[in-house]
Order: sequence, then structure tokens, then C-alpha cells
Amino acid sequence: MTISTSDKPFLERVKESEQDKFMQASVAKSQDAQWDKREASRKELGNWPQWRDLGEQIRQHVIKYLPDYLEEFSDNIEKRGGHVYFAKTDKEAAAYITNLAKEKQAHKIVKSKSMVTTEINLDKELLKIPGTQLMETDLAEFILQEDDWAEPTHIVFPALAKNRDQVKEIFDKLGYEGDNDPEHLARFAREYLRRYFLQADFGITGCNFAIADSGLINLVTNEGNADLTMAIPKTQVVVMGMERIVPSLKEAETLDNMLSRSAVGQKLTSYCSFSGKQVEGEADGPEDFHVVIVDNGRSNALGTPFEPVLQCIRCGACLNVCPVYRHIGGHGYGSIYPGPIGAVLSPVLDGYEKFGDLPFASSLCAACTETCPVRIPLHRLLIKHREVMMDKLKMDHSFSDKIMKMVGVGTSAPVLFNMALDMDHPMMGVLSTKDQGSVENEYNSGRIKQTGMMPKLARGWTDVRDLPRPPKKNENFRHWFKQHKAALEAQKHD
Amino acid sequence: MIDHSNREDFLNAIAEKAGRPRHQLQDHPFEPLNDLPETTLSGHSQDELEAIAKKNSEAVHVTFETTNKAGLADALNAYIEHDAPKTLILPTTDQYDDYGLRDWTKTVAPKPMYWTPGKGRDFNLKQAAAADVAIGFADYLLAESGTITIATTPGQGRGFHFLPTHYLAIVKKSNILPRSRQAMDRYDAAIKAGELQTSNINFITGPSNSGDIEMTLVVGVHGPLDMTYLVVEDM
Repeated sequence: MTISTSDKPFLERVKESEQDKFMQASVAKSQDAQWDKREASRKELGNWPQWRDLGEQIRQHVIKYLPDYLEEFSDNIEKRGGHVYFAKTDKEAAAYITNLAKEKQAHKIVKSKSMVTTEINLDKELLKIPGTQLMETDLAEFILQEDDWAEPTHIVFPALAKNRDQVKEIFDKLGYEGDNDPEHLARFAREYLRRYFLQADFGITGCNFAIADSGLINLVTNEGNADLTMAIPKTQVVVMGMERIVPSLKEAETLDNMLSRSAVGQKLTSYCSFSGKQVEGEADGPEDFHVVIVDNGRSNALGTPFEPVLQCIRCGACLNVCPVYRHIGGHGYGSIYPGPIGAVLSPVLDGYEKFGDLPFASSLCAACTETCPVRIPLHRLLIKHREVMMDKLKMDHSFSDKIMKMVGVGTSAPVLFNMALDMDHPMMGVLSTKDQGSVENEYNSGRIKQTGMMPKLARGWTDVRDLPRPPKKNENFRHWFKQHKAALEAQKHD
Repeated sequence: MIDHSNREDFLNAIAEKAGRPRHQLQDHPFEPLNDLPETTLSGHSQDELEAIAKKNSEAVHVTFETTNKAGLADALNAYIEHDAPKTLILPTTDQYDDYGLRDWTKTVAPKPMYWTPGKGRDFNLKQAAAADVAIGFADYLLAESGTITIATTPGQGRGFHFLPTHYLAIVKKSNILPRSRQAMDRYDAAIKAGELQTSNINFITGPSNSGDIEMTLVVGVHGPLDMTYLVVEDM
């Protein structure tokens, strides 16, 4: 399993990400730009909540009858003369494709952007075959490949963390002699990749939606590289997560509309293609067509409260609204699936031991749930992960339980609660400081500074920010409210 | 007979994990809870759809032109003169007769290459890659998104739409549809009835583009650098 992008502990990754100011600025710029485009395109479409209902219904239906739809799809691929392989693990999937490349004596392999091929570590396996060359042809993936296979940071914009100077530096090594203008850089990539494309004999694509009743594959792209990957090589392999299925071309069309708007704020992307094995008489397209359907941990979600995560259509909208992603970017998550969807999906695919931190990397603001075009309750699933981790994994929560019990007793007995209100201000005095009030310092009653000493109980808070000191009893809200109410009553009587 | 043991093993395992028996779908087919894909943007006349298509095509960097059947050859010549291409590729199709373009194909300069059935992959791909300009026929134009749709045929292959540098699609005004759903309804029915035998349907919305470098929009990446739609208004 290679959805992991880092061996470093979570907090170390977060600290590193926080240092990367260019990445933070890029993510912020991209989130803001995408917000405007996405919301405008949804508004123009109209009835967005009802479209979400329909999107959710389609995805829930296919997940409910997943084995039946996969069987129908597989039958129809075979009717068209294609081959289907069902892979339970990443290793099985990569081995099937690697063996096929060997059998076909593939010399030049072209790939178009696909998260699932990254998930199954396919590139590195294929590169082990002597005499085989491999080229990522999506512009962003090409940049990452030529940068010594750097890891992607976003599921829609994988090279978001690279600036134009870095891209120019990468292309300089390939013989580029121009400036850092993105248009010139893209033209260079076009010419460089075109030469390679025309010699390609083996193509690998992902799959946005697999169409059960016609045995076609739907790909939604903007650059055109996926279509060249499906047109030029004699052999094509489609790699798909087992949940990427829809009943018919009509549901694919509905979801393409929702995906394009949610991912990039377009009504449709430049290319939405519905494609399969070459039909007799056609000159191009794959003569040999293989589909590899991958489980690789997805079935862990089936029959559990996490099943809705399989509804995902990989639009990345949840990343684009997430305040945590805005600060730590893709690398902070340590998974090829970052952001809210990654924080839910990564532990499902690869367990809590590796990704148990991620469900806690959330403010639970629910912006992700609100924007999801297929209504995945992302923030609720994050809370569910926390519950499962605490309960099923029998994590030691005896200390927290005792504290919460004490808090429960204290807050349910008025005598004790009032006593606490009397005591909290003076008791916290030892640890607090009081500075002049200002715009930045709204701690009128004083504060326990971030760097200050604090008992273990509140360390998690004061490690990263100041903790306000509770107000004096005669300055607290209840006291103020009582006085304010009395003053109003007095005014009435006057 | 294909050995399905790999498939059966896989599907039984996921059915077991889900806790739901297999083969229930036939009693529970998908029935959409609303008809938004059909009803959105419905009720417009063909003139209104053309105006909507023009606005939305131009928004995705397409040059939108109109002509009539009698003026089609002149409109194509004007387009070709503008780019002064050295090479031109055309599809092999009976549609030239339908559009009254048979004579034009004999006089047009530069002398066209043709995507040719029976000449094989390498021949056709090399020609398309060498073409400065491609002029092809689209099946439908979608008003909502400024999209042309094309099913691959032996005479107009996949690479025809992606490899040339400049690209023009001819489409009939009567084939302007409100949205992608109406086009898909037609393709879906034609495939199921066996009238359309194709391996590939392309929905193309403007020239290729990318925002991969600093989110700056670059128009023209792997596919054509620019696109023109030419609507024939009296067809």
C-alpha cells in the first residue's frame, strides 16, 4: 500500500508544511479562485440542492448494488472484446499490468493522470522492466515526474505547490531554453510529450466513471492527454477503483456536469470522453483493451458507517473549502488523498496506525460536507473515525473519562458550579499574565501564554495558542446578565 | 468460455463484506428522483439555443461563426486563408454531399489529406499529427456548455480531433441541443438499437487548456491550440 507519502510523524509534517509559505499562498489563491468559479457555475445551473440529491442518489444506488453493477460492466467489456481483471490488492493490480507490459513488450508507455495508479505504486513497478520507458503526460504529473517523482499535493491540481521558476528549472534539464511564462512552459511540454506520444505502444488511464450497461469508460479532462493515451497506443489499460461505476451513459453525463462544476467551476471540462475497445473498421484506439478493477481496502467501508465515502467522485471541492488544508497543504496529510476526503478515506484504506491522526486534523466546521456534490457527510465521518478509534481500538481513555466525569459532576450540581465560578479566576492567576488590551490582545482578564507553563490537562491548547484566563466573578457573563436585566427592569419602573 | 473465477471470488467477497446478497439489482433498477438533467434549459426555440450556444462557446475561447449551406464553402475558404496552413486534414464521409461540399473538396487549397479507413493506425495518426488544420463534422452542439459532440467513425477517428494544431467543426443549426443530456439520450438510444457502432464518443468544450502552473490558464496543451464552430443555419 503506497497511499502514504511520508514516513515522518504527523506533527513534524505539519510543521514542515507551515514553513512552506509559497505553498500556503498557492493553496489560498487556488481556494479563493475556485470558490468564485465553483459557486458561480452552480448558481448558474440552478437548483443545486436538488442536483446534489440526484448525485447522492446515483452514487448510493451503485454502492448498494456494487457487485451486480461490476458484473454487468465486466460482461459488457467482454462483449466488446475487452478483458477485465479484478484485483483485491495493490500488488495484484500492479503485477497484472506489469506482466501485461512485459507480454506486450511495451517500449514506450504513456499515462494520463490517475490517483489509483499512484495508489498501487504502478509507475515504479513498470520502470523496473528493462528497456521500458514511462511518461506521465498530464502537465502537472509530468512536472512532478521530472522533479524526481515528487508527490502530488492536490487530487485535481497535483503540482499546486510548484511555482513557475521551479517548473522552469525542471524543464531546463530537458533542454528548455525559454522564460518562466506558463504558456511558454506548457508549449514546451506539448512538443516534448507529442514526440513521445507518437511512439507510444502502451497506454494507461484512470477512469472517472465506468458505464455498466455499455462497457464504456468515461474520462473527464482538460488537456487532451487522456484522449491521446486512448487513441495512439495499441494496448490500453484502464485502472479503476471498484466504486467508480454508474448504471448508464445518462448517469455518467449527470455526474460529469456535477464533477466539472465542483472541481474546476466549468460547465463541462474540455474533454468528456466515453470510450472502449476499437470497433472494427476504426483506425486508432486500443486493439487490446484491459480494465483492472481495484479494491485495495475500499471494501473495508462496505457495510460500515464509512460506506458513504465510496460515493466520492474525486472533485476535490472539499479540499478547496477546507481551512486545515489551506494551512498545511497536501503534504501535511501524508497521504496521496489529502484534505477532508483524504482524512476519511486514508484510514479506511490503510488503517488507523498510519492515518489515525488525520480524523483529528479538522476543525469540524463542516464546510466539506456542505460543498460535497454527492452529499458525503464528511465531518460526521471524521467524528465517527474518532469514536471507532477510541472504542474499537480500546485506546486508553481512562484519564479523559475521569476528567469528564468530574466535569459532569461539577456542571450538574449548582453549588459546585458556582463554587468553580468563584474560584477559576483566582486559581488561574498563578499561570496567567495580563497585558495592555489591544486589537491583537483581547484577553481582558489576562491569559496563559502559549509558551507558558501549563499542567498536562491543557497542554494541547497552550502548545499552540494562548488560553484566556476566566473573568472575575463580578465580570462574568452571568453576573453581567443579571445586572443588565435588573437595570432594564428598573428602567421600566421609572 | 471466459473463466470468471477471479471475478466471482472478488464479487462474492465484497457482497459478503457489505452484508447484502448479490443479484438484487433486477428488482431494484435505478429510477432518478428528479428530471433536472432533462428539464434544465428546456423550452427554448432553435434561434434562442443558437444565441445561448454562441455566448457559451465564446466563453470557452471558441470562435463561433455562422453561415448557410450556399455560403459554407466560402466560409471554409475564409477560415483556411486566415491561418494560411501548409497542411489540411479532412474526414472520409458521405456528409460532403449532404452539406454540398463535394466540389469544394476538389478545389480547396492546400490539397487535403484524408483520415482514411483501411489505411491503418500509423498512416492516419501521422497525417493528423502533421496537419496544421482539421475540418470535421460534429454530431451536435450543446447550447448550455458550448460543447460539440462527435462519435468516432472509421472515416473520422479519435486522433483527428486531438492531433492537428487548429480545428474547425461544422454543425447543423437543427442539431443544436439544450444540454449534454439530450445528446446522451440520442447516443444511448442509437447504441442500444445497434444503429451506432462506435468505440468512442467525444464531448469537446473548447480548446484544450490547463491551470497546472500557478493556476494560470494556458489555452492549448495537448489538443488543438484553438477551435472554431461553424453553424450551418439552414440545415
